[in-house]
Amino acid sequence: MKRVLEGSHAVAEAVRLAKVQVISAYPITPQTHIVEILSEYCTKGLMNARFLRVESEHSCMAALIGAQTAGVRTFTATSGQGLALMHELLHWASGARLPIVMAEVNRALAPGWNIWVDQTDSLAQRDTGWIQMYCEDGQEVLDSTLQAFYLAESVNLPVMVVLDAFYLSHTYEPVDVPGQEAVDRFLPPYVPKFQLDTAHPCGFGPLVAPGDYMEMRYHIAMAMDDALIRFGEIEDAFAAQFNRRYGPVEAIECEDAEIIFVTTGTLTSTCRLALQDLRAKGEKAGILKIKLLRPFPYERIREELKGAKKVAVIDRNFSFGAGGIFAQEVRAALCNTPDHPPVFGFIAGIGGRDVTPEMLTEIYRQTKNSDAPQKESVWMGLHEVKYAD
Amino acid sequence: MIMNESANPNPLFMPRTYLTTESNKTGSWRFARPRYDEKTSPCSAACPAGEDIARIEMLATQGLFKEAWETILLENPFPSVCGRVCFHSCEDLCNRREFDAAVAIHSLERFLADTAIRYGIKPDLERRTPRKQKIAVVGAGPAGLSAAWFLTLLGYSCRVFEASEEAGGILRWGIPAYRLPLTALRHDIKQIEAQGVSILTGKPVTAEMLEALKKDFDAVFMACGHGLGMAMNVPGENLKGVGEGLDFLRQIRDGQTPACNGVSAVIGGGNTAVDVARSVVRLGGKALLLYRRRRRDMPAFDPEVEMALDEGVELQELMAPVAVAQEEEKILLTLQEMMIAGEENSRGRIVPDHGKIHQVRVDRIFKAIGAQAVEPWHQPDAADRDMLRLTHTVLNRRGTGAVLVFGGDLTNATKSVVHAIASGKQAAIALDALFQEGVEAVVPRMEACRVGDGQSLSMEVYLGGERRLRNPHVVRYEEINTDHFQFIPRVTQPRLLKEERARSFEEIDLKISAQLAMKEAESCFNCGICNQCDNCYIYCPDTSVILERDTQGRHINYDYCKGCGLCVVECPRNAMSLGEETP
Amino acid sequence: MQTDVMDREFVHSGHVGCPGCGATIAMRFVLKALGEKTMMVLPACCWSIIAGSYPQSALKIPVIHAAFETGGATATGVRAALDMLGDTETTVLTWAGDGGTFDIGFQALSGAVERNENFIYACYDNEAYMNTGIQRSSSTPYGAWTTTTTGRDWKKLRKKNIVEVLVAHRIPYAATASIAYPEDLLRKAQKAKNMKGSRFLHIYASCPTGWRIPSEMSVKIARMAVQTNIFPLYEVEDGLRYTINYKPREYLVREYFRLQGRFKHLTDQDLDQIQQMVNEDWELLLRKAGERA
Repeated sequence: MKRVLEGSHAVAEAVRLAKVQVISAYPITPQTHIVEILSEYCTKGLMNARFLRVESEHSCMAALIGAQTAGVRTFTATSGQGLALMHELLHWASGARLPIVMAEVNRALAPGWNIWVDQTDSLAQRDTGWIQMYCEDGQEVLDSTLQAFYLAESVNLPVMVVLDAFYLSHTYEPVDVPGQEAVDRFLPPYVPKFQLDTAHPCGFGPLVAPGDYMEMRYHIAMAMDDALIRFGEIEDAFAAQFNRRYGPVEAIECEDAEIIFVTTGTLTSTCRLALQDLRAKGEKAGILKIKLLRPFPYERIREELKGAKKVAVIDRNFSFGAGGIFAQEVRAALCNTPDHPPVFGFIAGIGGRDVTPEMLTEIYRQTKNSDAPQKESVWMGLHEVKYAD
Repeated sequence: MIMNESANPNPLFMPRTYLTTESNKTGSWRFARPRYDEKTSPCSAACPAGEDIARIEMLATQGLFKEAWETILLENPFPSVCGRVCFHSCEDLCNRREFDAAVAIHSLERFLADTAIRYGIKPDLERRTPRKQKIAVVGAGPAGLSAAWFLTLLGYSCRVFEASEEAGGILRWGIPAYRLPLTALRHDIKQIEAQGVSILTGKPVTAEMLEALKKDFDAVFMACGHGLGMAMNVPGENLKGVGEGLDFLRQIRDGQTPACNGVSAVIGGGNTAVDVARSVVRLGGKALLLYRRRRRDMPAFDPEVEMALDEGVELQELMAPVAVAQEEEKILLTLQEMMIAGEENSRGRIVPDHGKIHQVRVDRIFKAIGAQAVEPWHQPDAADRDMLRLTHTVLNRRGTGAVLVFGGDLTNATKSVVHAIASGKQAAIALDALFQEGVEAVVPRMEACRVGDGQSLSMEVYLGGERRLRNPHVVRYEEINTDHFQFIPRVTQPRLLKEERARSFEEIDLKISAQLAMKEAESCFNCGICNQCDNCYIYCPDTSVILERDTQGRHINYDYCKGCGLCVVECPRNAMSLGEETP
Repeated sequence: MQTDVMDREFVHSGHVGCPGCGATIAMRFVLKALGEKTMMVLPACCWSIIAGSYPQSALKIPVIHAAFETGGATATGVRAALDMLGDTETTVLTWAGDGGTFDIGFQALSGAVERNENFIYACYDNEAYMNTGIQRSSSTPYGAWTTTTTGRDWKKLRKKNIVEVLVAHRIPYAATASIAYPEDLLRKAQKAKNMKGSRFLHIYASCPTGWRIPSEMSVKIARMAVQTNIFPLYEVEDGLRYTINYKPREYLVREYFRLQGRFKHLTDQDLDQIQQMVNEDWELLLRKAGERA
């Protein structure tokens, strides 16, 4: 059934349909709408779940680690500072092989206080062992959240469904909300592969000496590799049920494209507009939208970009002292392939600043007019600043 | 839940345990080694009969009254008697004394004996296989009967020859009924007879008869005691109206009521003197107790003196008789007042306080200043250097005939019931060692069954019982972990009112209830003996003290014990020791 | 107390606790009281190591190791999950050291008990960060040497009164207990087990290694802490009703301090001052218990 929903509500609907049993959350803008609705669903009995109103994001993740280890399906949502506070426990969740699902609304990090979109918060958690899915619109948010549970539980790794602050979290769009029966046909009930059990007592997360630790880490690496395959299978199953598919990457008019934009999140939608204009003017442009950051779909990216003459990666994030993080990832994917196209890095929309189709056209122009990138990252739209006297 | 990960298509190799820590043998860390090491309680070491008191009280605490009583019987066949008349040096050395008050050991002993009588309990004591040797015992007092009891336990056949018409010696004829009722004494004696001892009463042993006994028996134990009163060596002491205190007591015990009108002077400070004075009161007379030292120097038990005074006995201290004279119907007793010139052996040393002479007019005088052997041949020959002189007995091993053994008051430095019992036990052990292993074995075998560092001997140890393993170290108060004990008031011995006491020879000390007895027994520290309190198990950080459910026992699992020593320190009663770990 | 409670055992031999470890004794007691239907949340502390390294466990109940500061929060999640699974019988126990309770885990603990989460939080208190090598915590007592309060810089601040902090949350049950008083400890743990909501046990657990005492003295020292009123045994119900469980005969603190290497630098004057502080605290407690006007 199509409903007009905020991105936040799309997440909440998916969580309801996934029959999550324990939800834990701490308020932070712009994630709050997600858990407000879930709290209400629990109170009204629309969900049979326990809603834990914990005193911090750190405790929020700790509570989910406890709950998931005890054998139930869990969910939380956070954003920016909250995610940063959780950092330690993000490692814990993956190390403990817990299929926790989290919605993460990208928000810039303080100081100064900034509640608007910026991907640096989630990208800073790139190495925590979480699967990360970046979404473009409300429908993708709902669908990805449902798939996230399936994927997490298949490979025993946690999944982060990432959406842009306000542009997605607070934007109303028509979203097809599936019925419970259909979701039940897609998503099996949660059966834990291990759990706290007084009949079979064992210790979870004890001291592990160098003799075994490395193998345990290798198994997480293997699970991540496996997750890429399972992601495809789950998308097949999802498509069979709901007739929608996103892919780890989406290639838009890339077949004959000479310059391919690489985008993530809602910026992709803006880029789709710019692409229409460019194509109308006869420019051979294309877009490669990346959905999965982890596991990173290296093969698909190499495949999609191999015909391009140039690649322009637009990052709404920055790794100080290096560059845009997706640009680095794409370069790393390409560097060992012969005759790969040069990768131009552009930084845009930091801290919620608007990225317009005009700015994207400008990026296209700059890329087209340069033989090779002049520097690692080009910051778009900077203005003169006034320094304090 | 899937535990078999190899069967999982996507196996999880994760930080999850599936074994226990028991493969870590942490015992290898140990450099000190705790062990169970039962030691000797000071009360046991102080008891001339070597009773295993700490164990007796432990059994009593658990309500195992029969077992507790049997534990006494193994060392002392007279619990009924000793629970009443023993001077209980055990209580003087009780470690609990330094904490609050000594355990009322004698009350518990009496309680156990009373309980056995009340329920007609028969002891199950192991008896050795019969031996061929036969032993004659002269005198059925505490020494003679004890010797016969222990010798019977050791497998010998014994015959006891008693001059009086009933067995018991001093217990039967010398201790008044208000301290030792006949029923109590007769029960202990019946118990001894039931064990197989034969007692022939009305059979005084003469010098000729002794020679005959020496032919018929392999050994003769002389235990005929001191029946002859000592002289005061003052003029007039043989006048009519001057009698022996012991004779007076014997008359009463024989059922007579000797005349006691007027004032009776009693000379002496021992238990006999006090008993005579108190008997005088009970027969309606007035008793004047005269003692040449101070009250606190009196050898009589202090509570007895206390009660005597309560009952109306008048005590005059520092008074020594110097002359007795007839004065019409009365007897004039002249007394020299004494003064303390110093202290020796923790008693006052006295000298006459010249010029201070007192005279009292009394109706009769009872002497109670000690006794000696009736016949000189009752005594071992002091000059005979071939005699084997032990602490409580003397063995004559000369010649090929019967072994002649002297014991009881004849040889004991301290004349007391329990020393007499100790003498009988020593005689029995000495004879057994002599018969089984030869004379050279006597002293070493005796040494091997000493209780702690004292002179008392343990039959349990001699017989190779379980408690032979106990360490002779006598537990000191500082070695008790008093944190595990609470202050408990000592049981108050219920007694007849003094008005009731002065009128009859009814037993003064009344019975205590089982509940009270158990509570009192519970206050015992059980020095040096494991009473299964389980502190070792409770406080072990390494789960290395293993309880043995079937046997109520426990052991240390040295595979894991790290030797922290907590069990040893937290053992309330020093029944464990910590030693160096030897590789 | 039923005897079978003391007889049952949930700690395996072969663990790597130091000789004489008070924390291990405390664990044995608490698990005896709580029984097999118990799940443990174990934030970082000495017991994270004592509980065994992979693949071994020293405990016969399920354990979830947790990040240092998450004792209250992880338990919240475990409890919620069990409730969702219909298991209301199992007791959730957080077992944390003083660092994980007084310091880094304080927020999560406060949060959990404010929500009156249905679990038992047991803090075994060895008065410093012992697992990392004896660094001071807010539980380290006045006067103590630690590796971060050395020489003249011995700790000159009071120990945080954690029980009173918990009491201020008005939780159903908060109690102190000591390894030297097993019956009291087991009774309190069993009492806690039979209650609902947040229950807090503050268990005094001596540390021979960190306190510089001989291993065999660890229980004795713990007992002296009670006997001297340094660590009174008491319990508080609903944040209101105080019961003092043990009234010592006013032993002086001096002996307790003299036996421990961590206090060996203290002068008689320091000890007098400490005695005053202890007396002050005791009077305050008596007033709260309604035993002083």
